[in-house]
Amino acid sequence: MKKLLIIPMLLLATACQQKSPTPMTDEEKKFTFSPVGKLTPTKSGQGRNGDNYIYAPGIRFPIESAPAYLNSQVYGIGGLYGAKGSLCDEKNYQYPWHDNYCEKRRWGMPLCPGGKGHQGVDIRTATCEKKKYYAVAVEDGTITYIGKYTVKLRGKSGRTYRYLHLDSPSVLVKRGAKVSRGDKLGLVSNNMGSTKTSIHLHFDMKETIKIDGKSTKVYVPPYTSLVDAYKRLLRGNP
Amino acid sequence: MRRLLIIPFLFSLLNADSGILDIKWPKPNLKHQKPSTPYPEVLTEGIKDVKLPVYIPNSYAYDKNMIVVADKNFYTISFLFKDATVMISGDRTYQESVSNKQEFKAILKATPPVTFEQEEGIMTAEFNRHGVNYSMAIECDKPQTDERCTDTKLIKDLYNRLIMVGGRP
Repeated sequence: MKKLLIIPMLLLATACQQKSPTPMTDEEKKFTFSPVGKLTPTKSGQGRNGDNYIYAPGIRFPIESAPAYLNSQVYGIGGLYGAKGSLCDEKNYQYPWHDNYCEKRRWGMPLCPGGKGHQGVDIRTATCEKKKYYAVAVEDGTITYIGKYTVKLRGKSGRTYRYLHLDSPSVLVKRGAKVSRGDKLGLVSNNMGSTKTSIHLHFDMKETIKIDGKSTKVYVPPYTSLVDAYKRLLRGNP
Repeated sequence: MRRLLIIPFLFSLLNADSGILDIKWPKPNLKHQKPSTPYPEVLTEGIKDVKLPVYIPNSYAYDKNMIVVADKNFYTISFLFKDATVMISGDRTYQESVSNKQEFKAILKATPPVTFEQEEGIMTAEFNRHGVNYSMAIECDKPQTDERCTDTKLIKDLYNRLIMVGGRP
């Protein structure tokens, strides 16, 4: 008899859970993002409009904590080609996110409309402070390379992820280290060797695409994967 | 304009299947693969399980300070220079396939056999051999002024000195 009562109670509890999802956090309510491929400002180049394919499904967001702001460094306020002002201007630290994959660069990028462009995206941390926020592994994998300002992770998927501009002394991993999704790698900074850049994480993803017996390895668009990952981070389920 | 039309159509046809690339193994070069002076243990032990051709520049094949990270599907070998790092890697996996062959062939066809470029201050070489994709990179402490990272001379030289030192089917 007891068992008979338990089952309907469990069903009721499940139904209640489904009817009352966890309310959105303030950060979730605030988070907005512009469409994939829509580069801002328009003079910053032409992105891959309409490519909503998620190239790296299920990855963890590469910065440990929210908020984070994905937008242009070069064309943002205080950037090389941006409006005059401070790199720390509060407008650089606001939603909506703006895709900056394929932003104007001089190097070859076969997936960009003009055949050249930025290989990844630039992400600002919550505040304009270096060495405060950790970059983390987006998936389980192996640290294959640590350079002057690069940490490279080869995920179990075979995809490679580059994290640029981390503070070198803060890097917690070594070449060959096996890491788990979410493991801390190092602190986001403005390191570009002895040349400084703005405080941000440059993050890119490279994978091999096969056709017939041939293949090519290309930097693929990270924006949609990151929007998806960031939503999960804000939900508390990174 | 043509590229713009191709792109939205093309990538709706990507398939997220992954796997191992077919390798067309080259004839063994015993001079390089079994040299009279054995390669350092760091190299031979590091690549013993690698199942793709392992290339490195011949001038650094005996560098005992090289750092090898590898498993059966990939290898990455780094060499530490003064104020710079050199990295070469190969990988025999793929992460996507494309069902629309004509469209993607256009991109493949436009891809030269090897490219040398400076990206984010890092000088790179990208190439495909035997069906495997390889990358080489030089990262400098002073990327804006160090000729190794502003000029393609060194990366081309390293590329021209590549020898196959191991890997097995």
